[in-house]
This record gives sequence, C-alpha cells and structure tokens, in this order.
Amino acid sequence: MPTSNPLPPKENALFKRILKCYEQKQYKNGLKFAKQILSNPKFSEHGETLAMKGLTLNCLGRKEEAYDYVRRGLRNDLKSHVCWHVYGLLQRSDRKYEEAIKCYRNALKWDKDNLQILRDLSLLQVQMRDLEGYRDTRYQLLVLRPGQRASWIGYAMAYHLLKDYSMALRILEEFRKTQSQPKSHDYEHSELLLYQNMVMRDAGMNQEALQQLDHYDLQIVDRLSVSETTAEIQLELGRKMEASSIYRDLINRNPENWAYYRGYERSMALEDPDERLKFYKEISEQFPRATTPRRLPLTFTTGDTFRTEVDRFLQNALRKGVPPLFVVLRPLYTDLDKVKIIEDLALGYVDCLKDTGRFDKEGSGDAEPATALLWVYYYLAHHFDQKRQLQRAMEFVDLGLEHTPLLIELYVLKAKIYKHGGDVDEAVRLMDEAQSLDTADRYINSKCAKYMLRANLLQEACDMCSKFTREGVSAVESLNEMQCMWFQTESVAAYQRMNKFGDALKKCHEVDRHFTEIIEDQFDFHTYCMRKMTLRAYVSLLRLEDKLRSHNFYFKAAKMAIQIYLHLHDHPLADSEQDSNLDTENLSPAELKKMKRKQRKAQKKAEVEQQKQKAEMERREQNKNKAADSELDGPKEEELVPDKLARTEEPLEQAIKFLRPLQVLAAENVETHTQAYDIYSRKGKLLLMLQSIKRGFAACPTDPKLHTCLVHFHMFVKSQGDLPTPVRTVIGNEMSKIYDGKDPKTLNDDFLRQHSNSLEHILAGGSMMYKLDPKSQERAVSMVTNLSDKLQGRSIENVTSVYRSLCDGSFGECDKTIEEYQKQCHDLFPHAHAFALPACNTKTSAEGVVLTNGSLS
Amino acid sequence: MAAEEEPVDLEETENDQGSKAKKSAKHDSGAADLEKVTDYVEEAEISSKNLDDAMKVVSDQQTRETKAKQEKEKELSKVKINKDDVDLIIQEMEIPRMKAERVLREHKGNVVDALTELVN
Repeated sequence: MPTSNPLPPKENALFKRILKCYEQKQYKNGLKFAKQILSNPKFSEHGETLAMKGLTLNCLGRKEEAYDYVRRGLRNDLKSHVCWHVYGLLQRSDRKYEEAIKCYRNALKWDKDNLQILRDLSLLQVQMRDLEGYRDTRYQLLVLRPGQRASWIGYAMAYHLLKDYSMALRILEEFRKTQSQPKSHDYEHSELLLYQNMVMRDAGMNQEALQQLDHYDLQIVDRLSVSETTAEIQLELGRKMEASSIYRDLINRNPENWAYYRGYERSMALEDPDERLKFYKEISEQFPRATTPRRLPLTFTTGDTFRTEVDRFLQNALRKGVPPLFVVLRPLYTDLDKVKIIEDLALGYVDCLKDTGRFDKEGSGDAEPATALLWVYYYLAHHFDQKRQLQRAMEFVDLGLEHTPLLIELYVLKAKIYKHGGDVDEAVRLMDEAQSLDTADRYINSKCAKYMLRANLLQEACDMCSKFTREGVSAVESLNEMQCMWFQTESVAAYQRMNKFGDALKKCHEVDRHFTEIIEDQFDFHTYCMRKMTLRAYVSLLRLEDKLRSHNFYFKAAKMAIQIYLHLHDHPLADSEQDSNLDTENLSPAELKKMKRKQRKAQKKAEVEQQKQKAEMERREQNKNKAADSELDGPKEEELVPDKLARTEEPLEQAIKFLRPLQVLAAENVETHTQAYDIYSRKGKLLLMLQSIKRGFAACPTDPKLHTCLVHFHMFVKSQGDLPTPVRTVIGNEMSKIYDGKDPKTLNDDFLRQHSNSLEHILAGGSMMYKLDPKSQERAVSMVTNLSDKLQGRSIENVTSVYRSLCDGSFGECDKTIEEYQKQCHDLFPHAHAFALPACNTKTSAEGVVLTNGSLS
Repeated sequence: MAAEEEPVDLEETENDQGSKAKKSAKHDSGAADLEKVTDYVEEAEISSKNLDDAMKVVSDQQTRETKAKQEKEKELSKVKINKDDVDLIIQEMEIPRMKAERVLREHKGNVVDALTELVN
C-alpha cells in the first residue's frame, strides 16, 4: 500500500478492521477502531484513517462531518490512493459522478492497477455513458485479470454498446472457447449464448445467428426465446415454411399472443380475407376458449362476414358478462360501417332479449341469463358515449340502472358520460357514489380521485387517496414517494387551472425528479446483471434508460411546466401578489371575509397536519438510524418551495430545461417543436426559432399550432432590422424550402383552403387572418364561430378553445359575438360548464380567460 | 449506495465473508460477492495461447482506434476558425463554446454551413 505515512503493525491491524466494519456496515464499531488509532497523538492526523472515518460517518448520515474528515484526510496524504478513492466514493454517494470520476482517476495515479478502483470507475463510466472511457477501463481490467469471466463479458459489452459488433463478437467467441463443456441446465451459460445471439442480430448477421442457435440448441434453456428468435430470423431471411411452422407451434403454446398470429400471417403471406378467416376458424376450433382467434378476424373482415363474426363475438361476451367488452372492440370504431353494424346488432339484441329472452327472434335454444340484457345496455351506453351521442348513452345507462341499481360499472360509466359532456361536478358526484359502493376497491378509489382533480378538488382527492396510502404520512407525500405520476400530472393540471403556478411547478419538478431517480436506480444493475449474466435484460435496461424521458408522463409534466413558465414570463407575479386564484374583485365584503376566514382555518389545519407529519417523520428517521443496515438514499435534494418556483428569475431557462429531453426523445411529436418555438420566440433567438419550425415541419407539416408559428416567424423575420450576414443567409436558404416563396397571407389562405373542414385548423388560420389584417375581423370571427355539424372536430375541447380565443382578444373586440357564441355552444353542449350562461356561473368563464396562455406574443 | 464498495482491493476474501454476503441478500451487496462469483471461472483454464491471440487482436484494435482518433483531431485542429464566427454561433444557438468550435471546424470554418447543420 503506497502511502507516505505507513502505520505500524498494531495500528495497521486496527485500520484493516475499520475497512472490514465498513464493508459489513458495522459503522459504529468502525468509528471505535478509528478512534483508537486517532487518539494516539502520533497518528492523530493519519490521512487514510481520517478518510475512512469520514466515509463511515457518511453512512451514518453525518454528511458535513464526513466531508470534513475526508478532505482533511486527503490533505494529509495526497499520495494515498485510499484517500482519493474514499473521496470518490463520497462524491458518488452524492451523485456527483463527474467529480467522483476525477477522484478515481487521481487514485489510479497512485495505484494504477487497483482492481477495485478500476471497477468502481467502470461503473461510473457506464452510468454516465462515457462508453469510450468504459471500454478503456474494461480493457485494463481484462489485461489485469484475463482469467475472469466478468473481465471478458464487460469488455465485450463495451464494444457492443459502442456498436462495434464484430469486435464484441470476437471477444465473446474467444471467451466462449475457453469454457469447458457446460453442465446441463446451466442457466448462466445459456444466457451468455443468447446474449451472443443478440449481438449477432444487432449486427444484422441473421444467417450466423440462426446457425448459432441451431448449434447450441441443447445448451440453451430458455426455449421460448429460442423459438421466438428463430421464427423472427427465418421470417427475415424469407424462409416462409420454416417460419410459419414455428409460429404455428408458438400459437399452440399460447393462443392469446397477437404477435404470433401476425408472424404466422406474414410468413404465410395470407392476404385474402377468406383464407385468413379460415385459418382463424381452425385455431378457434382447436382452442374454443381462446379470445384472440375470434377477435382478430374482426379487424380484417367486412360486410356480412364481419356481421356474422362480430355477432358471435358479442353474444358470447354478453352472455358471459365481460365488462371490458367495449374496450376490446373500441379499435374497430375507426371504421364507420363496422360501427353501424355493431349498433344494429346491439339494438336488435335489446328487442329480442325483451321479447324472447334470447339474442335472436326465433328464440331457439336455451334462454339467455337475465344479466345479458344488462350488459347489452352497458355496451350500448359505451357505444353512444364513444359516438358522443351523450343523450342516448345516458338513456342506456339509466336503463341499466333500472335493471340492476347497484352495479358499480354503471356509475363509473355514467360519470364518464357527464365528464365527456363537460359537467365535471356531476361526474365527480357519480364517481363518488360508485366509490362508496365498494370502498375497498382501489381502482374505483383512484378513478374517483382523478375525477376530483379534474374538478380542481385537490383536498378531496387527497382525502380519497389517503384511504389507501400509508398512515401517518399525508397522501400527497406518500404518493410522491411512490412515484404515483398520474396523480401528480393531474394535480399539475388542477393547480394550473386554479392559477396556483408555484404548486403546479412543484409537482412538475417532482415528476422530473422521479425520472432522475429511475435513471439513478440503474446503478445497482451494472454489477448485478454482469454477475448474474442476465445480459440481454441488462442491455435492454440500458436502452430503456437512455430514452426514459420519452415517457408520456414526462411529456405531460414537461408540457405543462413549459406553459406555466411561459405564462410567468409574460405575466410575472407582482411582489405582493398571492400566488392564488382569488378572484377578490367580484366578491362582496361579507363574502370576502367569509373566504378569508375559511382560508385561515384551512391554513391552520394544514399547519397542524404538517407538524404531525414532521413528528412522524422524525420518529421514523430515528427508527431508521437505529436499524443497523440503514442505507442512505442518495443526497438530500433541495426542497421545492412553490412560491420560490413561481418567482424564478429566469422562467425561460427553466422552461428550456424541461424542453431539452423532449427535443431529443420526443422529436417526432410536433408539439415539442411548437413549444420550443414559443420559448425561443420570447428570447428572440431567430435561428433557434427556425430550428423549431423546421423540426416541427418535418414532424407534421399540417399541424394548426405549427401553422401559427410559421406565419409568426415570417412576420418576425421581416420586422427584424439588420441581421448578421451568415444568419440572414441561413434563414433565407432554409425558409425557401419551407415557405416555397409564399408570403404569410398566401400561406394562410392556402392553409385555410386546404383544411376548410376542420375546426382546429380554421381556428389557427382564422386567428392568423385577423393578426395579418385586423380589417378582416368580421370574416375571421364568422369563420371560427361556425358550428355546422359538417365540421370535423366539433368537440367540446376545440369549441372551448375557440371560445377562449374570442375571450382573450385574439380576434380583437367582439363581445357581442362572444355572448351569442356562448349561447350556441350552450345549446350544443348543454351540460358543459364552460358555456354555462353567465347567470348560472360567472366563475368558469372568467377562469377561462385568465387561463389562456397567449401563445404568441 | 455508497455502502457496498470496499475501499481497498481485498485480494482474497475470507471464507466466512461469502456466507455473510449471502445473508445480506440484497442485490447490491456488491463487490465481495462479485469476486466470489467470478472465482469459479478462474478455475476454468483459459489456455495461454488463446489468451495471447485474443489479447493481441484486442490491443491491435485499441491502438488503431486511438490512432485514427488522433488523426481526426489533428486534422480538425488545423482548421482556422474565426473567433467572431464562434461567438455568433454561441450567441445564436446557445451551445457551449467547445461544441461551437467543433462544429465550425468540422465545416472547415464555414459559418453558414455550420449554422445550417445546427438548425437541422
């Protein structure tokens, strides 16, 4: 051990015991031994002992002391690899990976062949995806320990990750050759072979991969993987007979896996619907209880064949009472003919069941169970809800309730219909009723909480959830700990609607942290998977983590965070302004007083609650410390304070932080780029605006929001004075590709012509029309307020956004039209709060105005 | 997280170490366990000739790669770039100086080409 200050044998033995205690997590004992060494004046400044003491303290959660001791140790013994290594471990425990890597490198300077440090370094490198560094470190490990399995696998893995497949394969093959005849059922060897196969397939070496599977067939224990992979390869190689026979076997093995059917059809090149149907009939006879062979033909059959098939399918399910029947069939609803057939059949069932107790008029065979009629009602309610014929949907739900008054599914569905009708309050009431019928059902409980959040009832939602969360901790906290992201994204939306931007941002950041956490969690698998040889799963894990933030939950949270930050940029909170939605102006003094009292009460309650929790937390903390193997879960993160978040100095930079992952991982989603445009246009960064519209154009050239960006950009460029020549050149070149030489007006006119039938597009085009020429107000307004039933996308959502645009001044002054439009909308969507007439509800419409984020400044 | 690593290289773990590691059957109980798992392979003999061949292949590749990389870097560093251009790129595209310089070098110092690539 090269150190400037070696200990005499007795102390050295003590030092070794410190190390051992650390390993075995006996931190208290470790500290005792450290004290024994340090209390000797001769060694009171012994660097390595000080460092180890610090590391041990770190494990006990005494972070500051830990840093003091480790730094002091390092200062006293800068040439000790132990001190550097310890410093690296400390940094790593705080997730300062870059710094930790530097420390490890320093440690290696003093002991370049230290295996443990090299291993630790390699872990950090793969975690940080410094793949070239990882490869170099793995190379050193291999040179030092060529006799070890992990050395070879790790080195091959490095090349695989770098996509140098031939090198990876060469290393794996060399290693495989050194293996003696494996025992039977050697799982790890089997996984190694399958991993080798995976690399071959990644390299596109199908032929070789096939041979490899064949050659080692007896040594591979994961039979399903062998079959599935072989079938895929055979298919890719165009060997249809071989592929189809394997897929046929796979179907026998599991007749419910859609992928096997797809594989079989592809390998047999089945295209003719009759032939395809014949095949599914065969399977269906063989496996009468399987759903898939009866469900799949519904997608490709048409007309009378479809009618026969779907008839059989429906009757079967309705007889049995399958609640998710509608969900199973919903994908068919894109085809209007099929919707019609289903509707006719189901309405026919109602009549027949009432008349004869059977599904058909002849009434042959046994009578159907009494519940069949109920499930038909339930299905039809779904059916009309999907078609947005809410009145009829409601009729069938009510018929169902008459039939069986306490069926929870019916209440859930009824709530959903009200939600679709725009009446969230009634939806919540019904969902609460559903929930009260079975309080032990967490699904209904969660649904109910979600509906409450939709109605901005945050406290109620929390109370609802708390029936299932841990006791002693608030539901919100507990759900955050459990990374319950639907709850958090819905809360963001609720806070956003209530203009509580700080709270909303807090939730956004919490979701973001979950994703960071999941990426951190990867760390343990770098060693574990190598050791257990689950290499295929390991590589998939790494690939998943690489694009983790492409997940919908992140997209949702990031999108709302960006919207809020943009809003805060446009309308910063005033110093005195309470970050809340108090619409104090419209309240009478008495009301105001009442409200204030209420608020104070709520605040007091919250404080008491908080104190209780704090006490609870402390108690738990103590318990945790008591537990011998307490482990610290990474560093304490900075607390998220809503008010501080809402008063950020740099909202646009914060927005960009949320945007970045989307730009990389959700580039195919046009919204990513329109959001990017909204940010950069506020910063006035021309080329980044150009980048956004270019990328957006590539993702979806006809998107309405993108269209507004295009028009805006054109006008914006024109309004700019002198630009640096290179910038002007680049903009000129790129614009000619997108705009095709059109000026904004032509662009807008063309856009409106091309999408004259879609409300969303008309709104975008109409608002630009007014923006380009305020004189065209009348035309623009009459265009967007058209509510003809021939329009596509005449949904509550789209109509609401038209209404909001009218209110927020996107079309200038048009109070009269607004009133009229609101009335028309109200007639069209009688349940929707958004269009409730002023007398009934002023608040909603006022909220609507405040909410809208003028997307273009 | 920090807890599973040993700070110094323990060449040989004692026998009772193994059973202890097992007892703390958490998946991250780490390095000592890893050592144990790999010990098994050490017994399997890897013939030195095979090893030499393989190692030779490996190290050749490693040197070739380093060389190619160095040459590319050398090539790039030869390109003359204008400081104003770099500043413009940083200003417009909000990227770090290192990256701006690199993109500019890769386009032989042509600022329009560099910017065009960046807006893609």
